[in-house]
Amino acid sequence: MTTSTSRISVDNAIEALARRRDDQVVVSTMTVMRPWRERAETDRDLVCVGFMGGASTFGLGVQLAKPEVPVWVLDGDGSLAMQLGSLLTIGNAAPRRFLHVVMHNGVYDTSGAQPVLAEGNMSFAEMAKGAGYVDAVRFDDIESFELALDDLLETDGPVLVELITEPTGDSYQGPEPGTSKPLPEDGRPVASALADVWPRVRDSLGGG
Amino acid sequence: MTMAESIPAIDLLQAMRDVGVTDVVAVPDTHQRSLITLLDQDDGIRFIQAATEDEAVALAAGLIVGGRKPIVQIQHAGLYACVNHLRGIAGDGRFPMVFMIGLLGRDPYRAPSEHAGSMVALAEPLLDTLKVPRFLLDGPSDVGMVAEAFAQAEAREGPTALLIGVNTA
Repeated sequence: MTTSTSRISVDNAIEALARRRDDQVVVSTMTVMRPWRERAETDRDLVCVGFMGGASTFGLGVQLAKPEVPVWVLDGDGSLAMQLGSLLTIGNAAPRRFLHVVMHNGVYDTSGAQPVLAEGNMSFAEMAKGAGYVDAVRFDDIESFELALDDLLETDGPVLVELITEPTGDSYQGPEPGTSKPLPEDGRPVASALADVWPRVRDSLGGG
Repeated sequence: MTMAESIPAIDLLQAMRDVGVTDVVAVPDTHQRSLITLLDQDDGIRFIQAATEDEAVALAAGLIVGGRKPIVQIQHAGLYACVNHLRGIAGDGRFPMVFMIGLLGRDPYRAPSEHAGSMVALAEPLLDTLKVPRFLLDGPSDVGMVAEAFAQAEAREGPTALLIGVNTA
């Protein structure tokens, strides 16, 4: 349950993961997407914008196609809440090299920090265990996370890591009044962001 | 009036083999259950079950990134359930993704859009709204549409849909 008052900064969590970035395919979404890409983007990064909840099974598909390539999913609590069934789908498929990191800040950051439902009374780690993940652990301080991370990366998956994080306050303000520009994603229209990057990832994995 | 002919599941399976399908990502569909049974026993094409149709779309996209050639097998109710993932991943993401959608409860003597029930009647208009090319399989002679759907998905870099208008047997 998320009753702890201790929280991890998203930047610190990203830094810990970025230092261990190698040849993994990384699927990121929502508020973690931009800082992750600024810190650790390679030609194996996939982005999820405009379809909340899709990151985890998107990553599962890559892992089932390429079992030898590790896949990390950098998910959000609000996103995972929209597709809780994905825990069952992943638990059932049992991808071995699959790390599912859930940034649990307790709010819908981009829409103005409204609370995620049942905040304080639920645990994604417990749900993942019940859905068939091999291991699922929750951390609310960066030191414990860092100490455990290398072992978790060596554990046969699927593994879920629930990080109790600070809200980023990174809410989406919408287009400038009088304009019809879509939500920008690294300066590109959001609609084309995924279409731009996935062929690059496919090519880095050996083509289709 | 003659009886509507079922589509032999083995013919659909062979059409998928011929076009090189590697995986069927599915939320079970009553209309296509004989095909699901065959797929479950098939060593060549992998059957992957998802809890929701949204997940099936995202999972299939990941398979495509990894170089596989999946088909998404769902029911008409599942089409309505996964509209945003169909739009946002398959459509905007420009994935050559083929959907096989069972029209459970369809009266085979009427065009789907003239069906009394909204579950069947709205499938084609919805696909048209989403700009997803569609192919209606009305009997055994339509199985060749499987190859057409894949060819068109790859040519347009986007989704296409096979509507299974009668039972598979």
